[in-house]
Amino acid sequence: MKIVAVTACPTGIAHTYMAAARLEKVAKTLGFEIKVETQGAMGIENKLTESDIRQAQAVILAVDIAVEERERFNGIKVIQVPLQEALKDPHSIFAKIQR
Amino acid sequence: MTQRSGTSLEFAFVCSLSDGLHARPASQLAEVANEFASECFLTNLRTGSVASLKSVLAILSTDIRQGDRCIVQVRGQDESAAHAALLSFVEQVLPACDVPLAGAHTTTAGTLSRTLPRTLRAAGVKGCFGTPVSQGIGQGKVIPLNGMALPRELKTRAASDPQAELAQIKRAIAAVRARIQEKLTHPQSPTETAVLQADLAMASDVSLAQKLAEHVSQGKSAGQAVMEAGEFFIDLLRHSESEYIRERALDIEEICLQLLQEIYGLDLQTAAIELREPSVVVAETLAPQQLLGLDRQWLKALVLEHSGATSHVVILARSLGIPTLVGVKSARSMLLAGQEVVVDAIRGLVLPQGSPAVQKFYERELKTLELRREFLPVETTGPAITTDGKTLEVAANSSSYEELSLAFEKGADGIGLFRTEMAYLQRQHPPSEDEQFAVYAEAARVAAGRPVIIRTFDLGGDKSAPYLKLPAEDNPFLGYRGVRIYAEHHQLLRAQLRALLRASAFGQVQVMAPMISSLDEVLQFKAAISEAKQDLHRKGIAFQSDLMIGIMIEVPSSAFILDQLCAEVDFFSLGTNDLNQYFLAADRNNPKTADLTDALHPGFVRFLKRIVDDIHAAGKWVGMCGEMASEIRHLPLLVGLGLDEISLPAAGIPAVKRAVSQLSAAECERALTAIMACREPSAMEELLERAQPARSAQPLLSKELVLLGSQSQDKEEAMQEIVDAFYVAGRTEDRQRLEEALWSREAVYATGLGYGFAAPHCKSDAVIADSIGVLRLIKPIDWGSVDTKPVNMIILIAMRESQNPTRHMKVFSRLARKLMNEDFRGHLLAVENAHEMATYLAQQLEISLH
Repeated sequence: MKIVAVTACPTGIAHTYMAAARLEKVAKTLGFEIKVETQGAMGIENKLTESDIRQAQAVILAVDIAVEERERFNGIKVIQVPLQEALKDPHSIFAKIQR
Repeated sequence: MTQRSGTSLEFAFVCSLSDGLHARPASQLAEVANEFASECFLTNLRTGSVASLKSVLAILSTDIRQGDRCIVQVRGQDESAAHAALLSFVEQVLPACDVPLAGAHTTTAGTLSRTLPRTLRAAGVKGCFGTPVSQGIGQGKVIPLNGMALPRELKTRAASDPQAELAQIKRAIAAVRARIQEKLTHPQSPTETAVLQADLAMASDVSLAQKLAEHVSQGKSAGQAVMEAGEFFIDLLRHSESEYIRERALDIEEICLQLLQEIYGLDLQTAAIELREPSVVVAETLAPQQLLGLDRQWLKALVLEHSGATSHVVILARSLGIPTLVGVKSARSMLLAGQEVVVDAIRGLVLPQGSPAVQKFYERELKTLELRREFLPVETTGPAITTDGKTLEVAANSSSYEELSLAFEKGADGIGLFRTEMAYLQRQHPPSEDEQFAVYAEAARVAAGRPVIIRTFDLGGDKSAPYLKLPAEDNPFLGYRGVRIYAEHHQLLRAQLRALLRASAFGQVQVMAPMISSLDEVLQFKAAISEAKQDLHRKGIAFQSDLMIGIMIEVPSSAFILDQLCAEVDFFSLGTNDLNQYFLAADRNNPKTADLTDALHPGFVRFLKRIVDDIHAAGKWVGMCGEMASEIRHLPLLVGLGLDEISLPAAGIPAVKRAVSQLSAAECERALTAIMACREPSAMEELLERAQPARSAQPLLSKELVLLGSQSQDKEEAMQEIVDAFYVAGRTEDRQRLEEALWSREAVYATGLGYGFAAPHCKSDAVIADSIGVLRLIKPIDWGSVDTKPVNMIILIAMRESQNPTRHMKVFSRLARKLMNEDFRGHLLAVENAHEMATYLAQQLEISLH
């Protein structure tokens, strides 16, 4: 199963990237294919393309601030959680996708 | 409401005044009560204290606050009338007493954040706030100056017979009252009338009179009785909960001082105070002479209620390295005489010594300052050259020989301003020619070929000496001062010029005149120099015949006749303090107008540019010796102006020299052009911030930022420890701002990321360069982590806000991602020392440590 995700935190210095790394790691152990876009101090990196999104079963938004270009995710299952959830309990986020 | 209780008539009321029953209503209430023969009492039911309504002091000491229930009792032959009058006053007049006096609340300029550091706030420490104007930390006992203190010889004076002493007190009270009444006949304002009336009531107070009589009957002299009665009431009021009443202690002090002056016929306010132990002198303000009269061995800090950052007493304190705070509101009523305090003239705090939190904080602070001194390199030699090869002379301002030698230790290229007026103060006779010659010649010798610009005496204004017989002036800064008094005091000038010329045989001495506003003044000054030269020549005394002659540019008119002035003198120095206040017509010592005297006024910056250009066009030399030159953030402007020299207090020289070497003159010039085009100060500030020296030279991480084996006990302490390490390594100059930036990020949600790790971070220009810090704790502490477990490894990321964000973000994001990696974390926990930690991190993050 392919999943896409966006992480974004208030300062965009640390948590954005920690959450991205964590989601990537847990996805791997659960056997998901994942691509994580970061919206941090450097702007958008590893940007999700239209085709990434089209192929994905769901999008995880682990964010504390408004997501840029959110309209990209219209029509796809969106699981939005506070960013800290991705550090605290990433497994439960993935569990929500399968439900 | 009214009832008879036992033998008295009484009524109850609730105080509705927000400041409580303060001095003005209390004095009016006492006035009403004193019209009757009956005894009148007031009881505060909250505290149970009872007072005679006929005494303002007694009323104030009952500490009646808003909402307190009170009872008034009257007993005596005219009790009905007294009762009716008091009741009517309490019901009709009292509630209207709360209209604030005009001008009662003045603001102080340039105050800091007015918050305590986190660790102290957490410990419930309370303190007073002020503006640091001479940095440092000092501890000692509070010595109020201008306060009540009897010279020792008067303390031991034996009392004559009690009747005579009492008569003397009565005479003194009558005289003080008469003086206040006299002032009341031509008051300047309603505010002054109200204050004078309260003073009058205080001087007429029956409780005070009783206390005085009591002391005299115990065999004390009139003076001792005033001292002790004063101390008794001051102490009483100072313990009040209300700030307003605490401030009234000063009124009593004032009255008692006046009584003492009447009794002894001398001016006690200016009597010198002898310091015998580490002391913190607290005063409303000080004259430079008063500061010079204090024993510097024991003077650990200065706390002033008023005085601007550029007043002469402050300049003097700074040059003497005395930690000084100004704008400390009601310092004299908040700080008790004899109380042990710490004056933090870095953060702008006065704190009572004694609480373990304060002790711990300042033990650590002193250690931090010591480490910082050791760590920060002091470059003592070599000129300051910009990256594009332009040299800026960095000289020192100095007021004494001691300061001058310090200046050369700090790497001064010369003395840009040697103030000579201090030698004239605090004495009955002016300094002799020989005395001055000795100082100047020694200065020339110590300077070893470097220039020493000696400014002839700038007396008048706020600096006077008895033998000058200068008149009191309404407006001393626009008055008879500087070069203007030279014609009248020709002999003084002659002696100084001869001393200076004689010293010029021993080194590179130059002379400079203060307060020049016209060509004529320059010609007169030069004539005096020629006269002194001829004199010396006739006597065969050696001097440098081509002595360089310069003038201060501090009166705006001089800036418009530069073509004429350039034809007459060799060099110029911009005295920005006076130049700024004369140019902007705003008093730099007035807290209400101090904000207007910002050097970053578009008009002022353009004015400076024009002056420098005009002088350079005539091929002459121009420096700057005002306060503007001592603020390091102004440096891009000063370099951009193309000044030949800047002169500042010695302590700032190493940092300024370092910064100059990181600036490009061409870029500074461009920045100045852009700044002069700004319409708003905020835009100027922003451009100035961008023009600051590139701090790229600093690597992201160095081993000084790695602290292993920390014993911090909680999050506050850990954060403080790591921020202190940044300060020691010169990565921040504003720890409070950096800490607050980190804490405001923590307020969103704690940065504990689990596994015993935390990653606090911030974007703030309080940090001088993008940096990574590491703190490893011996004992884990709570950090509000996502897994609720305590933390023993803290990785701090601080990024400059105004910097191009992509510059180091790649490294930071790499670090953040790696923190999710178990092996990486394990390694950080296992490394043995700071060097290993820094090396490992550098390798993992692909950065250099140099």
